[in-house]
Amino acid sequence: MQPSDEELYRLMRKGNQDAFAQLYERREPALYRFALHMSGSAAVAEEVSHEVFVQLMGPSTRFDETRGSLESFLYGIARNLIRMVRRLGPVAEPVDRPFHHDILGGLINDETTAALHRTLRELPERYRDVIILCDLEERSYEDVARLIGRPIGTVRSRLHRARALLSAKLKRLNAPSEVATR
Amino acid sequence: MTCSEQIVELVECARRQSEPDRELRAHLSICANCGERWERERQLTAHFQALRMQAASLRTRDAQRESLMRDFARIHRRPSIPQWAWALGAAAALLVAVFIGHEAGKRSNRKVSPAAVRVRDEAVLYEASLDASALSSDDFIAVPYTPPLAPGEMVRVVHADLYPEALASMGVEVDPSWAGNLPADVVVGEDGLPRAVRITENGQ
Repeated sequence: MQPSDEELYRLMRKGNQDAFAQLYERREPALYRFALHMSGSAAVAEEVSHEVFVQLMGPSTRFDETRGSLESFLYGIARNLIRMVRRLGPVAEPVDRPFHHDILGGLINDETTAALHRTLRELPERYRDVIILCDLEERSYEDVARLIGRPIGTVRSRLHRARALLSAKLKRLNAPSEVATR
Repeated sequence: MTCSEQIVELVECARRQSEPDRELRAHLSICANCGERWERERQLTAHFQALRMQAASLRTRDAQRESLMRDFARIHRRPSIPQWAWALGAAAALLVAVFIGHEAGKRSNRKVSPAAVRVRDEAVLYEASLDASALSSDDFIAVPYTPPLAPGEMVRVVHADLYPEALASMGVEVDPSWAGNLPADVVVGEDGLPRAVRITENGQ
């Protein structure tokens, strides 16, 4: 049976590097993608996912498992870091990798999908959170409710609202092509 | 069901990529707005799928992981067990050496071999200001080369049968013709060292 995140965390705090490595392998990829979708920048995503674990191993970490899961705690750190980065403005991409500021947008061949991705980042954070977690990370409503610390009903209504906003955007994006084809 | 209720259902259907049930299908066929929304929701799901696939191809560099692991090792670095063991062992050895030296010093001062003394009974004196010279004036012979008694130090008088060689080792002059045990009172300080000795009864 796999040890829980919290068990790994306790071992990690005692200096067990294997436990830390397991936690990293288990949680880092999703945190990276979360940061990538939230920021649209691979450099920011990498920095954020790195910093989350730096903070986790640091002496000032105050994770209290009676107040929530470790995963939720990690997403909380990531969310705060992304907010800080967004406040600071555009991030310079490193020169050792062929990054674009919008790495995902650059990779997406379909214009509409790329535009939608950009629109996603313009959504208010509360909507972006649930869209990314529910529809891009395919997490259940229960999981997302736990991760963001909101009731399931709130998650569902936010998701539907977010999709309606994106759907409207999609309609506007498709409108010129529809006009052109007429 | 109202349109808003149908929309909740159609969004969930689009997310699950499942077909709408009969009721929803019937509604979609007669409601243009909901029909349009259904199409957009399906497109949205398809776009999200594309985004997921693109994102899955991206990951952090291995160097980041290695850097984190190095940092972790640095933060949690402790002296290895052998180093601790060596330090602890050295300290313990030093303590033992000091203790043994101290004990050996005590024994060399005591002069009296335990085998040479047979304790008969003992009486404790509660005199606060005794010293060896005072004792010697009362038929006690001071045992030389012993540390003086501290003012107020409690002493006790031990009644013992001493072999002549035990007396000799205390620095007391012994007649070679003496044979057998000599009953004596030995004044012993709080540190267990004899300070004075007095031959009793027919010893002298």
